[in-house]
Amino acid sequence: MGLTDRHAMEVPPTTAVPANPTGHRPSLSAIQGGKPAQAEAPHKFNWSDWLDTGLAKGILGTISIGGVLLAWYLATRFQLDFYVRFGNIPTPMDVLDKVREVNQSTRFLTNVGISVRRVVFGFMIACVLGITLGILIGRYKLFRALSMPALEIFRPIPAIAWVPMAIMLWPSNEVSIVFITFLGAFFPILINTIHGVEEIDEVLFRAAQSLGTREIDLILYVVIPGALQHIFTGLSVGMGVAWVSLIAAEMISGQFGIGYFTWEAYSLISYAEIALGMITIGILGLLCSKAIQLTSKLAMPWMGAAGGKK
Amino acid sequence: MSALSGHIEVRDLNISFKAKSGTVQAVKSVSIDVQPGEFVSLIGPSGCGKSTLMNAVAGFTRTNSGTLTLDGKSIEGPGADRGVVFQQYSLFPWMTVRKNVEFGLKMQGMAQSQRQTQARTLLGLAGLLAFEDHYPSQLSGGMKQRVGIVRALATSPQVLLMDEPFGALDSQTRSVMQEILTNMWQRLRLSVLFITHDIEEAIFLSDRIYVMTARPGRVKAEIVVPLPRPRKPEMMDTPEFGALIRDIKKLIREESLAAMGSELSQGGCEGLSTDVGPEGVRHVL
Repeated sequence: MGLTDRHAMEVPPTTAVPANPTGHRPSLSAIQGGKPAQAEAPHKFNWSDWLDTGLAKGILGTISIGGVLLAWYLATRFQLDFYVRFGNIPTPMDVLDKVREVNQSTRFLTNVGISVRRVVFGFMIACVLGITLGILIGRYKLFRALSMPALEIFRPIPAIAWVPMAIMLWPSNEVSIVFITFLGAFFPILINTIHGVEEIDEVLFRAAQSLGTREIDLILYVVIPGALQHIFTGLSVGMGVAWVSLIAAEMISGQFGIGYFTWEAYSLISYAEIALGMITIGILGLLCSKAIQLTSKLAMPWMGAAGGKK
Repeated sequence: MSALSGHIEVRDLNISFKAKSGTVQAVKSVSIDVQPGEFVSLIGPSGCGKSTLMNAVAGFTRTNSGTLTLDGKSIEGPGADRGVVFQQYSLFPWMTVRKNVEFGLKMQGMAQSQRQTQARTLLGLAGLLAFEDHYPSQLSGGMKQRVGIVRALATSPQVLLMDEPFGALDSQTRSVMQEILTNMWQRLRLSVLFITHDIEEAIFLSDRIYVMTARPGRVKAEIVVPLPRPRKPEMMDTPEFGALIRDIKKLIREESLAAMGSELSQGGCEGLSTDVGPEGVRHVL
């Protein structure tokens, strides 16, 4: 379908081409010739087409997750021991029982809520600072020369290495954990934004300037949308690193939070809670990354427009 | 779009760049004019500085010496009084066709409803109204370039600067675009400075043609095209058209040979013959 739509667009409408011999333009029926051709062979099963259907994705996705659950069940049910030891690992049913148990009080949900709040705060601050600094550094040489050398020193330090310093630095434990989460997300967002600004074709700046665009509008209408694709790459990577940093910070210095919950479970030898904590972290991370994917699709409607879907 | 304004005057312009090998003189004491409502082409071998010259008129490139004026006012930087159409497609990929056309008007502070009406009118004249909500990635090369021209015209500039605008198009589309442009110019009568290396294109479109030399770029000749207006594709088959092509070809050929000759004499033909210079190449060809 994509191909036929594209082809239709290659043909300039005749209205603007007064002197164009009409013979140049393929007739409409010729352009749409692709549709009947498809209808001719409806029975031929195409494996790769089927894989694109929602049904196929549902079936294969169920097999994928089901396979992991089954392997987990079998390994723990029969307490496999071949170098990797499954003797103490809880079964899926143990974890399911735990889910029911933890939901009888608010302790578990409070922990989840606190972690989500920390990620949201840390990530939001990283977004604002990372994108703003990234645009300034990518666009202005002076700003870059002044700030990059200092930033390059901090960049290789993993967010987790900041834990002791952060505890001393910030007035409360809560703020220091948000700070660690922020640091994790900040550099991926910053670096990708800088890269995105640098990648913008110079001709677009010239085009905008020759249409009378001032600097502030250049930032709003050329730099930001032009760098948006790379910015979203940065947000996606940054969200991942934010979770890594948050969980590590919670495990080391936390009170509350899903990372703290998981580590505490280990101290209390509550194996099912360890698994529950891990699965919860996985699901939360997945939801966050899906949220960013969805936002990026909504924010960049021009991406993928060439596919012919309109 | 009064025919009384849009007078470009370039006097004794010099432009040089700093390169690894030292300073490169791209444009050397060039003086050209575009009269109000006139269609002027700059033609010359690649690397002759014609794009540099146009970028200077557009306000993108800094000049070393000489004067650049539009209607008597010195050109200091890019501005909406000079519409520019680029060789590469320069539409904003994140704006629909209509938003691209509206952009210049938006920068002038025109209200949304007003600029939308104006953009739709222009797109309608160009036969592009059906594509107003498409993104540039959904258009063919010829259509992108037509939108580019419409966008450059939307702010009613006095001058249109075109830097090999059809260079990336296939020859079929190219000739159609040339007709569209000449018809459009016939209606609007605004000053156009058109850069190309295609001789027929320059003759078909222009009132006057400046032939430029190889680097450093100087004006070698000025040719008035006496063909009547409005121009029709059939004119390309007339003997006058053929004679003009031959004249310009000869001028450009000399320049191309000079350019190649200097490269050859700088070691391109080492080991072949010691005295293959510009003259030698001329004999071989």
